Amino acid sequence: MLFNSLTFVVFFAIVVTLYWSLHGWELRKNLLVVASYIFYGAWNPPFAALLFSTTCMDFWLGRQMAKAQGPHRKRRWLVASVCMNLSMLGFFKYGNFLLQNFQWSLTRIGIVYQPPHLDILLPVGISFYTFHSLSYTLDIYRGVLQPTRSLRDFVLAVSFFPQLVAGPIVRAGDFLPQLRHPPRLKAGQFFWGLALMTLGLFEKIVLADTLLSGSADRVFDYAGPLVALDSWAGVLAFAGQIFFDFAGYSICAIGAALTLGFHLKDNFRFPYAAIGFSDFWRRWHISLSTFLRDYLYIPLGGNQVRPFRAALNLVIVMFLGGLWHGAAWTFVVWGLLHGSYLVIERVFRVLFEAKRWASTLPVRVLAGFATYAAVCVAWVFFRASDFTIASRMLGGMFGQHPHGDAIFTTRELLQIGSVTLALIAMHWAMRDDTFETAVMRLPHWAITVIGAAMACAVIFTQGNSNAFIYFQF
Amino acid sequence: MRSSISSFKERLRLPRLFFRKPSREEQIHGGPPLEFERPIPPAPWRGIAVVVTIIVIAATTAWELYCRSLGYGPTLNDNEDLWTLWRRRVAPESIVIIGDSRAWFDVDLDEFQKGLGKRPIQLAMAGSTVLPALADLADDKNFHGTIICSVVPYLFFAPPGTPPMERAEKGIKRFHNQTPAQRVSECLSMPLEEHVAFLKPDDLSLEAFLNQLPIPNRPGALVPPRFPPYFQTEDRERRARMWEKCAEPGSELAKKIQQIWIPLFTPPPPPSYVPKDVFFAQMNEGIQKRFADVTAAIEKIRSRGGKIVFVRFPNTGGLKELEDRITPREKTWDPLLKMTGAPGIYYSDFPELSGFICPEWSHLSAGDSVEFSKRLVPHLRAALKM
Repeated sequence: MLFNSLTFVVFFAIVVTLYWSLHGWELRKNLLVVASYIFYGAWNPPFAALLFSTTCMDFWLGRQMAKAQGPHRKRRWLVASVCMNLSMLGFFKYGNFLLQNFQWSLTRIGIVYQPPHLDILLPVGISFYTFHSLSYTLDIYRGVLQPTRSLRDFVLAVSFFPQLVAGPIVRAGDFLPQLRHPPRLKAGQFFWGLALMTLGLFEKIVLADTLLSGSADRVFDYAGPLVALDSWAGVLAFAGQIFFDFAGYSICAIGAALTLGFHLKDNFRFPYAAIGFSDFWRRWHISLSTFLRDYLYIPLGGNQVRPFRAALNLVIVMFLGGLWHGAAWTFVVWGLLHGSYLVIERVFRVLFEAKRWASTLPVRVLAGFATYAAVCVAWVFFRASDFTIASRMLGGMFGQHPHGDAIFTTRELLQIGSVTLALIAMHWAMRDDTFETAVMRLPHWAITVIGAAMACAVIFTQGNSNAFIYFQF
Repeated sequence: MRSSISSFKERLRLPRLFFRKPSREEQIHGGPPLEFERPIPPAPWRGIAVVVTIIVIAATTAWELYCRSLGYGPTLNDNEDLWTLWRRRVAPESIVIIGDSRAWFDVDLDEFQKGLGKRPIQLAMAGSTVLPALADLADDKNFHGTIICSVVPYLFFAPPGTPPMERAEKGIKRFHNQTPAQRVSECLSMPLEEHVAFLKPDDLSLEAFLNQLPIPNRPGALVPPRFPPYFQTEDRERRARMWEKCAEPGSELAKKIQQIWIPLFTPPPPPSYVPKDVFFAQMNEGIQKRFADVTAAIEKIRSRGGKIVFVRFPNTGGLKELEDRITPREKTWDPLLKMTGAPGIYYSDFPELSGFICPEWSHLSAGDSVEFSKRLVPHLRAALKM
């Protein structure tokens, strides 16, 4: 079920009404479990069974781990949980990719092997809920979380419908404590949640789908060479589209959770105003970057090791982060590019940190724009379906096709330019703020007018229920 | 002693994502504090919500009235979910209409039911090529019914990757992969579309208005041709009827649509990145492959006892001249019948089917479509040996 569909509007209205009408907290939690499974099963009912079975397995493994005596036994249960989760992810998401690469490797050494094409349907949001579930056993192993006694609570923590299919990645340790006591219905929280949902839908339907996605698709689907202006316009359109699409989903999720009395953390914090790449990853898909930091980067040694090893750790983390997004080498290159950016940034820091000019405003702004440009270059690999398209796009962007085609109308160029400028300006204006503080500064009439304008824009735009980009991950 | 890195970060306000140990709170909870609670900006939210609701209701009502004043009325949108609804109803012996918008506009289901003894299922899709639907029916092992297939050569031979092919494939894909949520959405949206006039994403959406902005294009830009505005209504059986406003002789709307058909039906220039001779060779190869694929699909249907008849529906004016020039009958229609061995009805071969005027050059008015269908039925019965 998509947030930007009529089905969801009706579903959500029914769930919220029932939820706040019921008196018992246990009853309400049961309702949320049923609603979450209906939400998920509305895509493909059999996959709800898969979700339930992996959740049950992790619940049981968590209990075994807590009962186990000694680190070795605990580690055994952890390995079982990690293997179970990653093998599910591996089979559904990477099965064909691994087979293709296996075939390619055999061909290199002269063995001809034709693997069968596995007709595997990717369960929607598998990467997200695997991480929701995995965080539970990992935290029990680390000794920072006690296993819950209630299977129902754990099932709800993994499958809570606002964040189930496209994040934010909510750790069990953040969600389970919220299930201890029933939240109270607070008007401010409820309407603020609805306001966030409106903002999220506005970002998705109006900004991402209507103003940017068509242009990005046209450029990346175009089979010929493009001039630099059109290539850059297409990449900027995608940079905006993916932000509005994913941040829009996250805001909707946070808003929907708030209306039910749950608190999810921010997943984005004005990323296109980042100065440097570590700053970018602190602002972009925060729930994934902190997950990778806590469960991968730090266990690998983090930065408490020799510089070369620390740099390698960064590259490993970003390589896996890239692969998490999709089973394709283009995603791997995207991850590796970001890994390299982080390493280069670290070298720069060592070389220039003591220089006084490094902290001047012009340098900071320049560094910010360089970050944005480099992030856009990396988006090419994220969006392109293969390296031929990626190299053609990069060629266009860096002036290799001066006689290439121009496919955008003037109106489209103006549209992409104005949305991009507005996006960057907003991010820079609010880079050291939270969204809530920015709203706090607005007069009440302005909040009303902006809220009404966004709601009207969503209704009049008539989105075509396009799926969110991150659903495929 | 503070490290120089951290002081640098402080000065630049650089983040510490990959450069710090987890805080004590994070070490305890595996993340930020458990007591995390989102801040709620202090404001009179209840009052704001009431005012926003009033504004949204007022604006939506005003917009609806404005759209109705422009001549728009409530009608269903033709989308892949509605198509899927009817594709799912195809029974083994159904009569199915496939093809492009001419079969969609020009066929009256009541007349066909009277003449053929069975109510046909309307699966023709505007601006689509026929192969995906035909191949899908051919692959449906239960189907051994009758197919009435419209042929507009420019769409019939549209190569893979072009909008007519993508539109058709989208419908088939939805039929095979439709989720329960999409089915429910269709059921919910139909009553809404039947009562609200502004729900027309192709004409009355933000995107449509942006497309109409009078901004001159830069020289040399490869701009795709525009699609015509809404000029039909559609019912739950997917029966399209031309708006009376468009069917009026010499109407402005009809003239506007006529001028849209010409660039839309004019083949685009070969792409700059493919040599011309290679491009034309590929096109010819594509056309031969289309003949072969259609023949193979028909063979499959026939092997199960099914039947097919091709129909060329009327076109007039400048569009007829254009179609006759770029897709002449002897290079498209005649070889198609020869290769497939299927019967065909070309409207201009029969005096009783000729002489209809298409107000916007491509489709019959709602009234004419009834008369045309009535006259077409005996030819269909003869061709299908019914």
